[in-house]
Amino acid sequence: MASYFRSAALVLQVACTVQLVNQYGFEVTWCFGPSMLPTLNMTGDIVIFERLTQRFSKLQTGDLVVATSPEDPSKYVCKRVIGLAGDKVCIDPVSMHRQYITVPPGHYWLTGDNLSNSLDSRQYGPVSGGLILGRVFARLWPNPKWLDNGLEEIVEFG
Amino acid sequence: MPFFQGFRRYLWATLPWVPVGIFFTEHGYSLATVNGRSMQPSLNPDSNQLRKDVVVFNRWKIANFQYNIGDVVSYRRPDEPNKIVIKRIVALEGDVVRTRKPYPDRQIRVPAGHCWVEGDEMFHSTDSNHYGPVPLGLLQRKAEYIIYPFNRIGRIPDKPRTSRVQYAPGHKVYNRLDDIQE
Repeated sequence: MASYFRSAALVLQVACTVQLVNQYGFEVTWCFGPSMLPTLNMTGDIVIFERLTQRFSKLQTGDLVVATSPEDPSKYVCKRVIGLAGDKVCIDPVSMHRQYITVPPGHYWLTGDNLSNSLDSRQYGPVSGGLILGRVFARLWPNPKWLDNGLEEIVEFG
Repeated sequence: MPFFQGFRRYLWATLPWVPVGIFFTEHGYSLATVNGRSMQPSLNPDSNQLRKDVVVFNRWKIANFQYNIGDVVSYRRPDEPNKIVIKRIVALEGDVVRTRKPYPDRQIRVPAGHCWVEGDEMFHSTDSNHYGPVPLGLLQRKAEYIIYPFNRIGRIPDKPRTSRVQYAPGHKVYNRLDDIQE
């Protein structure tokens, strides 16, 4: 009887430790959908994200993040940070008449990589930093790969 | 050195239970003190003098989307995500709220996945009237009981619904999904 109790206690301790790492450090999760198409598959990817950048440092433009959807608290979304608080961003670069918005304090502008098939800040506006769970930094499956900041500087001549 | 050996054994016996305790506070119940006067007279009334209320918070209810109009909840401020504040839910999605002064529009329909929160003390509260509807995803915990000061021990007092809100016939019920949609 005592040994049953001891093994149950061990399972509880291990599960809670794993949960603690998930909550404050790293979490492995499954992403699917067409909105991040060139970066992530439509049929689903297993990615790993970390919560440390949010806590100890700052997210940068170009980071891939996982956030709770502002429209539905039971859904999570995976998007790319396009603008930080105070940045002036173009609401929809695809549309004919471009409009610009300044991202309010504490918020981020998130869009998918596949702008023609993505439900993102263009629809629901800037996303509060409190909704962002963490920064995606690697894909585990298929073909494991580091997913780093995709921002490239474009130098214009003339 | 029997003392240190005993201490070490004690440490190794207790340390594995620390994550279990953290799990309980993060997903079940936790205690916190409440600062400020925005929830007067429900929390921190003047009869407290300099004492701060200690409140039991329930994370489990919020994680399972079991909140309702009139509940006192804590959430991360949308414009300052590092601050956690406590207010009362006044309206949920679909309800039409007649707003108070700093808010630019006269009235607003609370959008999908959002709620309208206000402090009980309207003159000393920075709430949805300043930063608009709050995404439900920012809600952290539901405040349930006051346990200190001892003369006010018990449930957090209710507040009658205001006439400034036109309630929708029903509100959307959410369920937990685990996959992430891109």
